[in-house]
Amino acid sequence: MSKVKTFKGPGLRIENSPQAKHRKNKWRNIRWSILLFFNILFFASFYFDIQILEGSLSASRFLGFHLIDPLAAFQIILSSRILMVNLVIGVITIFIIYLMLGGRTFCSWICPYHWLAELGEKIHLMLKRQNRIKAHTFDKKIRYLFYGLFLGLSFLTGYTVFETINPVAIISRSIVYGPALLLIWVSALLVFEVVYSKRAWCRYFCPVGVSYQLIGYASPLRIKWDKEKCSNCKRCQTVCLVPYVLHESVNKDHSQYVDSGACTRCGLCIDVCDDEALSFGLKYLDKII
Amino acid sequence: MADNNNKKPMNRRRFIKTSTAMIIGGAALAGLGAAPLLRSQTDLLRPPGALDEDLFLASCIKCGQCLQVCPPQVIKLANITQGFAVGSPYITARAGGCILCAGLPCVLACPTGSLNHDLSEGKDAQMGIAVISQPNTCLSIAGKNDIPYRINQLVEDQSDKEKTSQVISDMIKRLTKDEKETFRNQFSLNDIETGTIEKLVSKLENSDLNWLKDFTDSAQFSKIGCRICFDECPIKSEKTISFEEKINSKNAKTEIWPVLQKSCVGCGVCEEKCPTTEASITIIPGKKWQEVQA
Repeated sequence: MSKVKTFKGPGLRIENSPQAKHRKNKWRNIRWSILLFFNILFFASFYFDIQILEGSLSASRFLGFHLIDPLAAFQIILSSRILMVNLVIGVITIFIIYLMLGGRTFCSWICPYHWLAELGEKIHLMLKRQNRIKAHTFDKKIRYLFYGLFLGLSFLTGYTVFETINPVAIISRSIVYGPALLLIWVSALLVFEVVYSKRAWCRYFCPVGVSYQLIGYASPLRIKWDKEKCSNCKRCQTVCLVPYVLHESVNKDHSQYVDSGACTRCGLCIDVCDDEALSFGLKYLDKII
Repeated sequence: MADNNNKKPMNRRRFIKTSTAMIIGGAALAGLGAAPLLRSQTDLLRPPGALDEDLFLASCIKCGQCLQVCPPQVIKLANITQGFAVGSPYITARAGGCILCAGLPCVLACPTGSLNHDLSEGKDAQMGIAVISQPNTCLSIAGKNDIPYRINQLVEDQSDKEKTSQVISDMIKRLTKDEKETFRNQFSLNDIETGTIEKLVSKLENSDLNWLKDFTDSAQFSKIGCRICFDECPIKSEKTISFEEKINSKNAKTEIWPVLQKSCVGCGVCEEKCPTTEASITIIPGKKWQEVQA
């Protein structure tokens, strides 16, 4: 309370609010609960035969409605050269759901690998603070190359190559049907992330997330930035899972919303903002509603 | 990269570029190289309605919904040890064959059509074909009845009570009226209802089993060779197995061979139920009747 810090930036508030009025980790706790809930629901639907959410994250049925991972569906269409009606219905349903919910919300709110990677990131940061490891980065555009590469491979080989190594599907299947040997590959990936490059799979490679990212560019559900309340402390960017997505708003004042599809709508920035300058909003629709 | 060792540490942008190129190139090579290997496995028995193996592997999304709805729960998902078709469904016939249940729920559950939705009845499935793979051990060919053989197995290992009950109830079904009387008197049973038999099974001793073995060896039905594969076949509308006489060229004896007919769909129930220690009848997955004949 005694000392007033000031920061440079487009935000209009001069003083940084020193005390958090809202509950810390509110959105993170909600998000993790939902992530665990749905993954446990997958497990329970089979194990206890309650049949609410049957299948795994590649393809499932929620109360009878087909849900299908877009990337898996595209691979199958390319490798088998067959267009199956249920496949198309499942992808359209996913598209509509995530158009309403924000695209990459899949990553941070549903994907079990992302959750493990978040925990891995904490270990990574701890090791880095102790100077025991160095951080490495890759070009974030690799994920588009991977997306194209695996779709191309499906077409060329007539086999869904990526589904063999897909860590999201491997973990999801292991949760529902019991552990599979391929978890060794998933563990290796996690170790790589912890000791070499922070959350590398999600950030640079994962083609599953790319489908959802593309939906995310069109989804109105976005993080909203209130210039009037922001004191430019930049703490949001230190906790953000994909820090560059906040630049256009918080640093450059180009948009009131975080427009990137890469934003996972995880809410970590909302939790950390003492100025309460960030919130979930609906672009285009805020004024109407 | 080698010449960089002499200079200052590799600059960041260059590192990103080279590592990116290496990762992409590596992934592409690994994918192209591994794909034929990944597809090479063909001897997995697929659920009913499965497309030809190549197309099946191309279209299966590996979600496991077929497994979830399977009433006898015989479908499993392949692990990496099962020849690289990771996550795709298969059936181990010996552990439990497909019973071709009404409505074929696995086919209906399949979201991609890998299990072809055109299939509506179990008898039209083409999972594979059964063959007498071990004529040397087949009880029918040897002219032996299965009940004494199975009781003998129980003498060696009686740990599976369910199996014991099954053998006893199978035996009772085939006894004549007089034989049933003898059986009841031996164990002082008032009736031969399921509950009574369950109680009997729980306290059977090896001496009892030895008596049962001698008893069944001399029973009326013991003259008839084993017919388990025929009796257990889930296809009842058509004849899948016929028993034909063949003359053994070595000792000129007449043997009764089970001969698989065209209507066999390869469900695997016969392999599951075959009483010999190693199944004498096995399924060749994905093969058609005509191919095996040739």
